[in-house]
Amino acid sequence: MPGSLRGLICLSLASVAISGLTACGGDDGDADADAEAVSEATNGGRTGGTITTAYTSFPDYLDPALSYTQEGWQSMWTVYTPLLTYKHAEGAEGATVVPGLAEAMPDISHDGRVYKLRLREGLTYSDGTDVKASDFEHTIKRVLNLQSGGSSFYQSIEGAEKYIDDGRAGADISGIETSDETRDITITLTEPDERLPYILAMNFAAVVPGDTPFENQTKNPPPGVGPYKFDNVRINRGYDLVKVPAFDVPDQATGKLDTINVEVVKNRRRQTQDTIQNKIDYMHDPPAPDQLREVRARYTGTRYAEFVTNSTYYYFLNHDVAPFDNAEAREAVNIAIDKRSLARLFGGLLEPGCNFLPPGMKGYEKIEPCPWGDPTAAPDVAKARQLVESSGTAGQAVTVFGNDEPEPKALAEYLSDVLNDIGYKARPRIIEASVYPATIGNHKTRAQAGFANWFQDFPHPGNFMFLVDGDSIQPTNNQNFGNVNDPEINEILDAASRNADIEEVADDYARADRLTVEGAHVAAYGHRELTVFYSDRIDFENCTSWHPVYNLDLTQLCLK
Amino acid sequence: MASGVQPRSHAALPEVGRPAGLALRRLRRNRTALGFGALFVALVALALAAPLWAHIAGTTPSKNHLSDTVVVDGRTEQVVTFDGVPIAPTWQKKFFLGADTNGRDVAVRLLYGARNSLFIGIAAALITTVLAVLLGTLAGYFRGWTDAVISRSLDVLWAFPVLLLGVALGVSLALGGLKVGPLEISGDSKWIPTMIIAVVSVVYLARPIRGQVLSLREKEFVEAARAQGAGPLRIMFGELLPNLVSTILVFFALLVANAILLEAALSFLGAGVQPPEPSWGTMLAEGITLLATSPHLTIVPGLMLVLTVLSLNIFGDGVRDALDPRGKVRPEHG
Repeated sequence: MPGSLRGLICLSLASVAISGLTACGGDDGDADADAEAVSEATNGGRTGGTITTAYTSFPDYLDPALSYTQEGWQSMWTVYTPLLTYKHAEGAEGATVVPGLAEAMPDISHDGRVYKLRLREGLTYSDGTDVKASDFEHTIKRVLNLQSGGSSFYQSIEGAEKYIDDGRAGADISGIETSDETRDITITLTEPDERLPYILAMNFAAVVPGDTPFENQTKNPPPGVGPYKFDNVRINRGYDLVKVPAFDVPDQATGKLDTINVEVVKNRRRQTQDTIQNKIDYMHDPPAPDQLREVRARYTGTRYAEFVTNSTYYYFLNHDVAPFDNAEAREAVNIAIDKRSLARLFGGLLEPGCNFLPPGMKGYEKIEPCPWGDPTAAPDVAKARQLVESSGTAGQAVTVFGNDEPEPKALAEYLSDVLNDIGYKARPRIIEASVYPATIGNHKTRAQAGFANWFQDFPHPGNFMFLVDGDSIQPTNNQNFGNVNDPEINEILDAASRNADIEEVADDYARADRLTVEGAHVAAYGHRELTVFYSDRIDFENCTSWHPVYNLDLTQLCLK
Repeated sequence: MASGVQPRSHAALPEVGRPAGLALRRLRRNRTALGFGALFVALVALALAAPLWAHIAGTTPSKNHLSDTVVVDGRTEQVVTFDGVPIAPTWQKKFFLGADTNGRDVAVRLLYGARNSLFIGIAAALITTVLAVLLGTLAGYFRGWTDAVISRSLDVLWAFPVLLLGVALGVSLALGGLKVGPLEISGDSKWIPTMIIAVVSVVYLARPIRGQVLSLREKEFVEAARAQGAGPLRIMFGELLPNLVSTILVFFALLVANAILLEAALSFLGAGVQPPEPSWGTMLAEGITLLATSPHLTIVPGLMLVLTVLSLNIFGDGVRDALDPRGKVRPEHG
């Protein structure tokens, strides 16, 4: 989902603590540790006050069933708490799935198909109505019925596909059983899915009242259970996040500010200027390229910071179409691209590297030395030319695909130039961003090479490695753009996907990552960095927290 | 003959040279128009010299120099800094007008961009002229249903915002190209924006041509030709067309200017010249994000665009004043 989820970004995590999952239920020890983490995270900084934040565009939706952009998710997390959620903490700890509205982590059956959860007692929505276990089924029905971008995540639930096929909103999903009396929720899957805890932690599954209509509720977002609620929604202009004083869910952050005004300011230059002048307290997107240098120089460490996200940027090289059906040709591309140059195309906001998995992801093991050359040094173009010659593919025509956004366009033009340099006849083909993934993901296009990137949906290496999994290849909407189909990688990923204990399979993902790079299956070149820039009013020292799933944690922000 | 409408028949042959001579004398007296005409010729010469300058600069218009360095005044400077800011004009052979964000030589791209702009401008104007003369003459001469169909079709075209129509066509054709019978144009061909601009501009010339033909067809020399047994084709192209030459000439320069502007606008919006071909419009679009730190990226192509369009407009006005001193022909701009 690289197009729609362009901004869904996360930072490092070293331990995704799903490990104790199968054995748990409500482990008191874990709960205590969670409480400690929250109290640490919320220490420091004063409470109260109002701030203004600036977004370049209005979120896609203000409806948890539909929102699938980073802008949307950042606010959603403050308004809607799913059954399972993430710790309000930085780094690896923040990527840990913990109980949200559920009393404890799920009990999982031995065959890995049945998940049992119990809703906490006495939960109420921000409008005061009670939360019922049956609301969860309604929530999932909305996701499926509204054809949300997230609906595919929930189709492993038994009866979900039948529910979609029937097309009746009120029909039952056989794989979800709930009891409002006991607050029990039982989810039965068609086959084991080790990602389910992460999928339940996505905002799509955040419960909303059982009478929420089966239509987009952006104009009037449904009440949720969270530290804030939506108010004063002005479509395409902004909205307010207003504190819910009654919110009191154990181990969950309650928020420090009274109100967060979200304003849409399309001009990033103006956003930067207003932030410098303290008219805006936080700007969500990086400063405009021509202002970045000044902001870096003047405010790094006091009001400005950069973070590596859980993302990967690479060129896909189509294994089914000449010349990149030839391994030597792919190796030549990997050798010839200059990662220092590519970082410049991102204004320096790219961490060059050769791994496919991002540094913050479980299973990441830095590949050193990089098999195709040092990412921080000049490439060996002569060697690349030699490889092209010996591969017998020299002189072939190559179309390099990119989309019409500034960076992808520049990246496609760069690769085209590199390919010309090493002996091909390359031309870039720039197409509109909204149709880009569908175009290059259609086998009929026979896209030879081009720009590709991926930001995590959730912090699990499988959410990246499926991009090079031969079993994921499909004729349309294919995300494995290069049709990578290496039996060894496929086997590793298949085995890893059947094990819910991520700690146990981390090494397998690391091996798959290494094989992807060493086989020159893609030309991976780095991981995107994002920025935070605050006004002087924000307590940068104590109240700014970069969350690995939601980026800036709005519940931690506070004024000096 | 003051109207510029000159019957060709009936012992007029000795007079043929006179209006042209008069017009030339008037044009020679218009120093401003001549000056801007010379400027346009200089711009064309520069565009033709693009490969020569690329050779001197040691690069090509699409060559990236992102991690390269260049010595300026004895100091080694990065072509593009680590934070993505390209080098400013060096006023020397390499990167004379600086580099863009991909580390490409702006001067080289500017000259190649000029070739593209001029090619599209002139080719589009030629196609527009052929189509517009054909349609305007047919509509004006035959009147009735022919006129109704052609005029209403032109009205429909007129009703569309030109830029929106151009963008819509440009974006859709850029992906799949154009296939009409034996005619096949690939999506990244310069002929795509050329054809789009040519078609959307037809209305600007076709309407005045039609108006003139409607008037001319009632003149005595047309009556005389008809009496001599001339058919519609001979009358249209043998009698009427020579009398439309001054109008066509006046419009042509302005059509070229208009086409260059439209090409820049389409390219700015990503629907015109496709990468890696440079265009002033794409150069402007690429430079706009670095307006504060690298103003040369927008100023240089912007200035070229202004100079080219200004020179064509002023020269075109001069030509009109020379051919049509009483100002009967007034181009309408969309």
